[in-house]
Amino acid sequence: MKTKIVFLLFFVVIGIAATAFRTSNDALFAVPKGWQKPAYNFQQNPLSKQKIELGRALFYDPILSRNGMVSCASCHSQYSAFTHGDHALSHGIHDSIGTRNAPALMNLAWQRVFMRDGAINHLDMQALAPISNPSEMGENITHVVAKMQATTIYPQLFAAAFGDSVITGERTLKAIAQFMLILVSSNAKYDSVMRKQAVFTAQERKGYTLFKKHCATCHTEPLFTNHQFMNNGLPVDSTLRDVGRFSVTQNPDDSLKFAVPTLRNIEFSYPYMHDGRFKRLSDVLHYYTAIALQNRTKNHTLAKELQTPIILSSDEKVDLTAFLLTLTDRIFLFNSAFSFPRNIVFETAKE
Amino acid sequence: MIRLSIALIILHSVAFGAALGQSFAQQRPLNAKTSASTIRLSIIPTFGAKPIVIGDSAFQAKDANNTHIDALKFYISRIQCLLKGVVVLEEAQSFHLIDAAKEASFHLTIQNKRGARFDGKFDAVRFHLGIDSATSVSGAMSGDLDPTRGMYWTWQSGYINVKCEGKSNACTARNNEYQFHLGGYKQPFDCLQTLMFPVSVSDTITIQFDVESFLSKIDMKKYHHFMSPSADAVRLSARAAESFRIVP
Repeated sequence: MKTKIVFLLFFVVIGIAATAFRTSNDALFAVPKGWQKPAYNFQQNPLSKQKIELGRALFYDPILSRNGMVSCASCHSQYSAFTHGDHALSHGIHDSIGTRNAPALMNLAWQRVFMRDGAINHLDMQALAPISNPSEMGENITHVVAKMQATTIYPQLFAAAFGDSVITGERTLKAIAQFMLILVSSNAKYDSVMRKQAVFTAQERKGYTLFKKHCATCHTEPLFTNHQFMNNGLPVDSTLRDVGRFSVTQNPDDSLKFAVPTLRNIEFSYPYMHDGRFKRLSDVLHYYTAIALQNRTKNHTLAKELQTPIILSSDEKVDLTAFLLTLTDRIFLFNSAFSFPRNIVFETAKE
Repeated sequence: MIRLSIALIILHSVAFGAALGQSFAQQRPLNAKTSASTIRLSIIPTFGAKPIVIGDSAFQAKDANNTHIDALKFYISRIQCLLKGVVVLEEAQSFHLIDAAKEASFHLTIQNKRGARFDGKFDAVRFHLGIDSATSVSGAMSGDLDPTRGMYWTWQSGYINVKCEGKSNACTARNNEYQFHLGGYKQPFDCLQTLMFPVSVSDTITIQFDVESFLSKIDMKKYHHFMSPSADAVRLSARAAESFRIVP
């Protein structure tokens, strides 16, 4: 009898804990209607307001860089869909230039691997790459933790988030991941149309039809990426010599493949491609309808979707562009919860 | 293949362990008394017969190559004790970073998973050299797995299973410096090694990682550094595993 009661109590407690977890997580992160289940395991890093706020502070604080000059936001600014607006390649500390275009940050909870080549296997670990890259922040996480321990603000923020003021690499990375997780963009005109709260113009509708015919296999709705690595036939930049995913897997079949980017907020995420070689959306459409075709037989990893020509008239290109502009989400781009935390005064690291 | 390498390791330990056992008897922790539910496992990095202790300056071996060791760290994980092939003790959250610069990290007290009975009888010990793939893809971890321990690759995800850095006259790189960071959790470059040693029943086990033996297996005219998962890193990880010996 006693065992039964203990057993019952056990399940009640588990039930309450599970409900509490769901409630707190749901209030901070909601899966938009019709979207798939996120890839991120929230059970291992349950969201909290305080952890998100800590992550937001870390995202905007240049303390993460060796010389205190570069923050995550330096290359991922909100108003340019969390890319490095107008920069083909980003610059880090001491004006050093990297080798790739900073990707847009949004809807990362649905992504399993990160970076243009998928070198990072978990959102938690993503921030380590820019922190350590000599052309980006040129730091290391151990030193970042030591610098934060010497500030006034961070022991307080960690205590608020984790219950005590101990700063660890794990806590730092999980907090940054929490901020990145809440960067959900699902309020573009496209979304309103899908929710039947708005309608496309005739031009946008034509563009959507063209999109579904020519682009959607790789830029799959509703995330506008299939999360695969594809070779879209871009000629190799002779100075960067970037072989893409091959450098991670060493598999020749992955040569020149890069992550298929989301097209959400594409109006603001220029310049385009893994090395930012195209400044305008019209350059991109021109590329897919003309230049790719000249090179398509040359390398064996070219996406099969691009092996037959895409033919678009100039009117159709305008229609397609009109549709792509419906992916702009101003609520996301100007959400003050994602912007610089004005209530926090960052300190210069004491050495 | 795994069986073969385990057999080789066992042969190795029988042949060399006996000769070295004498000099290591005094290295064992003095307070070896443990309760029946735990065992003591010491993993001692050595250069030949000499323990490697990296203090303020690098360890210097007085060998023909004037070998220096500046850093030596490696992960031991999933520690198990077996009796007649059956697991009788298994540690929960079994991840240990052994750091030649921190002698305290050599000596582990292994407790059975909570609730599981263990009566102290076992005839073999088994563990991994490195971190398994499931752990490698599970995000930020605490304790010995925290990336601040310097054993996590930043530009490409994954733990460094074995880190060995220093100088050797045999190494033809700049300043004779070698840097071997062995890791990789994904096929075909999975570097994780499983080691198994027979033990006569005792609650204190001492195992050495002989770095002299490990380095002697690397042609340092050809290989100066490993920094990413590769077929060579897999091969070299197996050589590292073969350089572990039990002290009888």
